[in-house]
Amino acid sequence: MYLQMALRNLGRAKVRSILAAIGVIIGVTAIASIGIFGESLKNAVLENFKDLANEVIISPSRTHGYTVIDERTLMKIEKAPYIAEIIPVKSAAAEITSKKRTISTVYGLDEDDAREMFKAESGRISFNGRCVVGKMLAEALELRVGSKIYVNGKLFKVSAILEAEGARFDINPNYAVIISQEDFDKIFGDGYDMIIVKVKSIEDVSKFKEYVESSVNYKEKVVDVFEMKSILERIEKAFAQINLFLMAIAGVSLLVAGVSILNVMLMSTIERTKEIGILRAIGAQRSDVLKIFLYEALILGVFGSVIGACLSFVAGYGITSLIVGKTEYVFSLSSALYAFFGLFFGIFTALISGLYPAYRASKLDPIVALRFE
Amino acid sequence: MKAVELRNVTKVYKTKYYEVVALRNVNLEVELGEFIAVMGPSGSGKSTLLNLVGCLDKPTKGEVIIKGKRTIDLSDRELTKLRRDEIGFIFQQYNLVPTLTVEENIELPMVFKGVSKEMRERRVKELAEKLGIYDLLERKPAELSGGQQQRVAIARALANKPSILLCDEPTGNLDSKSGEMVMEAIREMNEEGVTVILVTHDETLKRYAERIVKLRDGMIVDVSPDGS
Ligand SMILES: Nc1ncnc2c1ncn2[C@@H]1O[C@H](COP(=O)(O)OP(=O)(O)OP(=O)(O)O)[C@@H](O)[C@H]1O
Ligand SMILES: [Mg+2]
Repeated sequence: MYLQMALRNLGRAKVRSILAAIGVIIGVTAIASIGIFGESLKNAVLENFKDLANEVIISPSRTHGYTVIDERTLMKIEKAPYIAEIIPVKSAAAEITSKKRTISTVYGLDEDDAREMFKAESGRISFNGRCVVGKMLAEALELRVGSKIYVNGKLFKVSAILEAEGARFDINPNYAVIISQEDFDKIFGDGYDMIIVKVKSIEDVSKFKEYVESSVNYKEKVVDVFEMKSILERIEKAFAQINLFLMAIAGVSLLVAGVSILNVMLMSTIERTKEIGILRAIGAQRSDVLKIFLYEALILGVFGSVIGACLSFVAGYGITSLIVGKTEYVFSLSSALYAFFGLFFGIFTALISGLYPAYRASKLDPIVALRFE
Repeated sequence: MKAVELRNVTKVYKTKYYEVVALRNVNLEVELGEFIAVMGPSGSGKSTLLNLVGCLDKPTKGEVIIKGKRTIDLSDRELTKLRRDEIGFIFQQYNLVPTLTVEENIELPMVFKGVSKEMRERRVKELAEKLGIYDLLERKPAELSGGQQQRVAIARALANKPSILLCDEPTGNLDSKSGEMVMEAIREMNEEGVTVILVTHDETLKRYAERIVKLRDGMIVDVSPDGS
């Protein structure tokens, strides 16, 4: 009966009720669709780093006085069962001289590994007295395939210039020179500065880490093991924070909707003062009056939020296809979660906004209310 | 036990600028099942008296006792319960809830009391038949004549079988014929044992009452048995 009363009262001021509900619809749609968009964006970005999740980087434990990883340690690590791919890397800073001179990173890599990891923009990756130069360094030093450079005084001929690479966490070749490991040893001495390991599956990451700890680090910490997974986790966290921030901004529109419900309900309580007096006179408790008005707010909230939650998929799809381009993540569980979140928030806001008018209505003195015309 | 007792009741309305003494030292006893009429010029305190008896307000001084309960001792919750279960109101302006149908209006006090749907429907039927409004149950108040609305209001007032019926000029807005029908309905209820307190300007209604209480300037000036 209270529900019916609430429904009919909303129907009595149709335009007003619909406007208030539209406010909720907009608010909920804004929040949920931004949530859905953010989630899709995150997934699209993380997809680029998917391979990275299986990657582990082993570096010498500098805190324990190790500056390089020696051949014996590398061999121990290579015996680990979980490895899909292993790339030992040597790196150092060196003076590079051609027509100009600069300091840059030099990597010592196996030729096959280098071919697998990088693409040449011009020339062909090959070592053996020759070197490969990153795009930006090549531009800075005005190098071409065939140019001659000196690395710490030793002459190399440029065999290839690499394509510019996006952000990488293991090796960044853009501003580097890459030479063979034999040449590297001649200039800088033995030892590896980093070992990049790709394990077979993401579950193997921690098993591999344990293996290294027990086979290499059992006596003393010789190497540090760094899981790329942890970077992904940090990226994910950062996205979650940005998403929350965007949703908070969208939340402002829900706040406005809340104020409009507050306004509608306040007007309604004032217009219906006499009716409240009648209800109280014939035996309605304060709590009954409170319920009748809260129902109205609840109906506005539920109605607006349900529509808003549905629309958020449409809006989320729209924004995502416009900005991200990939829409395959829009219809997923996490999107449904955001829609549900928006729904919950919409109803919650409506109830909070209805609380004060309902409370005021319930507190009216019945005689004063009855005398109201 | 008396239906209603007023002992040295004084009611003062205080506003920011002035005070109005609406009732001054009023003493009155109403027996169970009695029919009394309260008469007096405008502003003499009739409605004020009815509001006090109807537990809508508490006296400034003195005490109002409804079926043995002192209203000043009761909380808002308990007063509401008393209104709901023991008192029926009939107003000059009918005061039906415009969004609800006739049937729902009559149901309302029972909804507040927590009566089951089945029982409510039975009671609505019973009252509607008695008051001759059976055909109107599906209508909204705005679709009814004044006399019909007032009979719906009586049905609503009687829904929870109250022992006291308070009527504030129930015929004030009605032509004499519908007024008579309404008064007949009230008289019938009184014959079934409901205590009736009727506030009126209309001298011709005197004949329904067993006793007439005359008010002037907030004081009872005369209590007389029905003369006519
Ligand atoms: N809420 C109020 N605040 C201030 N004064 C009030 C209030 N209610 C009633 N009064 C005053 O108290 C006095 C008695 O009012 P009451 O309504 O009881 O008169 P009444 O006999 O019912 O008059 P009428 O026949 O016109 O309905 C009047 O002077 C009125 O102005
Ligand atoms: Mg009056």
